[in-house]
Amino acid sequence: MPHYIAVYLDDARYEKIKGTPLEEKITYLFGGQLKSLVVEVPEDKSEKILKAFEKARIDSRGYIEDVPVAFRRALFEEIAKAKSLDVIDKVLERLDELVEAAKKEDEYIPPPDIE
Amino acid sequence: MPLIKTPPPHGGKLVESVVKKRDIAEKMIAGCPTYELKPTTLPDGTPIRHVYREIMSVCYGFFSPVEGSMVQNELERVLNERRLLSEWIFPYPILFDISEEDYKALDVKEGDRLLLMLKGQPFATLDIEEVYKIDPEDVATRTFGTPEKNPEVVREPFNDKHPGYVIYKMHKPVILAGKYTIVNEPKFKEPFDRFWFPPSKCREVIKNEKKWRTVIAHQTRNVPHVGHEMLMKCAAYTGDIEPCHGILVNAIIGAKRRGDYPDEAILEGHEAVNKYGYIKPERHMVTFTLWDMRYGNPIESLLHGVIRQNMGCTHHMFGRDHAAVGEYYDMYATQILWSEGIPSFGFEAPPNEVDYGLKIIPQNMAEFWYCPVCQEIAYSENCGHTDAKQKFSGSFLRGMVAEGIMPPRVVMRPEVYKQIVKWWKVYNYPFVNRRYLDMKNKELEIDLPAMEVPKA
Repeated sequence: MPHYIAVYLDDARYEKIKGTPLEEKITYLFGGQLKSLVVEVPEDKSEKILKAFEKARIDSRGYIEDVPVAFRRALFEEIAKAKSLDVIDKVLERLDELVEAAKKEDEYIPPPDIE
Repeated sequence: MPLIKTPPPHGGKLVESVVKKRDIAEKMIAGCPTYELKPTTLPDGTPIRHVYREIMSVCYGFFSPVEGSMVQNELERVLNERRLLSEWIFPYPILFDISEEDYKALDVKEGDRLLLMLKGQPFATLDIEEVYKIDPEDVATRTFGTPEKNPEVVREPFNDKHPGYVIYKMHKPVILAGKYTIVNEPKFKEPFDRFWFPPSKCREVIKNEKKWRTVIAHQTRNVPHVGHEMLMKCAAYTGDIEPCHGILVNAIIGAKRRGDYPDEAILEGHEAVNKYGYIKPERHMVTFTLWDMRYGNPIESLLHGVIRQNMGCTHHMFGRDHAAVGEYYDMYATQILWSEGIPSFGFEAPPNEVDYGLKIIPQNMAEFWYCPVCQEIAYSENCGHTDAKQKFSGSFLRGMVAEGIMPPRVVMRPEVYKQIVKWWKVYNYPFVNRRYLDMKNKELEIDLPAMEVPKA
């Protein structure tokens, strides 16, 4: 059974996928104010994610939650690059780098660039 | 229906044990033995409590009628019946604890005055009335209850994952009981200084500046999302012949669990709610109490009732999972306490219906969510589209915040989110982590003016 990861889109992220086929795949929450893309993750790959990140878990909806910020950011980067949701393999190729980045997340998470 | 008026302080009179005149303070401390206050820590050194916060809350009257560290009989009474020796209800042990080694080194006894130093300066005195020993684990267990002894609301045995239980478990075994007096008034740092309204000042502001007759208190340890804002707005519709005039936000400031928001972001986040007009400042005011939160759900709600009644509130809103962490208590434990009482904790009736109880009026609230069918933020007891609900989950929001995604306005106001980012840039982290706890423990929220200790 596949699992899922929701990727939330703020305005900056939306701009990066606007006008691509991904736009049709956006789901809307909170009266359309929150946009998200839902990435399907085959079970064998979700196991790899759970194994790599200690805090990650599957919630009651079958969504993978509590993955590190580095993982979520990488997932969006790959989506924006490929203009596709079929990117989980690309993200898993970066797993070592993401595991290393996640280790530092108890100490430092880069703040967003807003005033 | 009679109009509701400001209730008296709990116990009848506000405790105000702060000596403002330097010459009197110097006479009080001349020749006293001194003791530098130390944090309570986990075995790995993580600070989880600083007793200075309790001394501040006692001496400025937030915990009235408590005047200091409890004597043994009072501790037992609080643990067994949640009452002080004076009969007034009170939820938590308030203790000045030191190690056996420190006690031996201090060589103090009943009748002595101990000068408590903070950041190297005189801070407060403790007039020792009694010295006794506790079993900290026993105090921790009895403070929060057990499924066997408190089956009405305790669902799981408390353990080391519960931050409040661990605070009491890590107390040192020797208790110096007696009255505290602040002899060197601390100065709050920014941004804490502009939110500091101790009970006597708060009552004065409510009466003379805000001119609120009825005030509903909002407990917080969180940066507010729109669900919190709706809770405040809707709970405030209670009152008497008209909705409450004011909403008093009272944040609990002190050591918190990792993953909570920094204190500064909590205060300025709530301030943004009124500064940017989501609830206008004429009706909304942000304040704080120093307390290392015990996350004690119904027990904590009693303390909240005490504090906010002392601050002059007429009502207190209580939501689901009030001041809770994990699933130790029933998610409605606080609401059970305030609607029918919890006999095993000493309450055959709600705390505002027992002798020597509280006068503050509870307003138990259910949940708010976004309903795409109603196309509005809906109250769970109104909305019939339960399957379609979109919840304001804290973990969903924390995930979004950590990722650097600005939440939509309907979830968190942009001006509130910007306060999180402001303090994220200061601490390089959006949430409480070990580094933040260490820094807060070192710096604290206050500074103390230099003061000499005269010889006897």
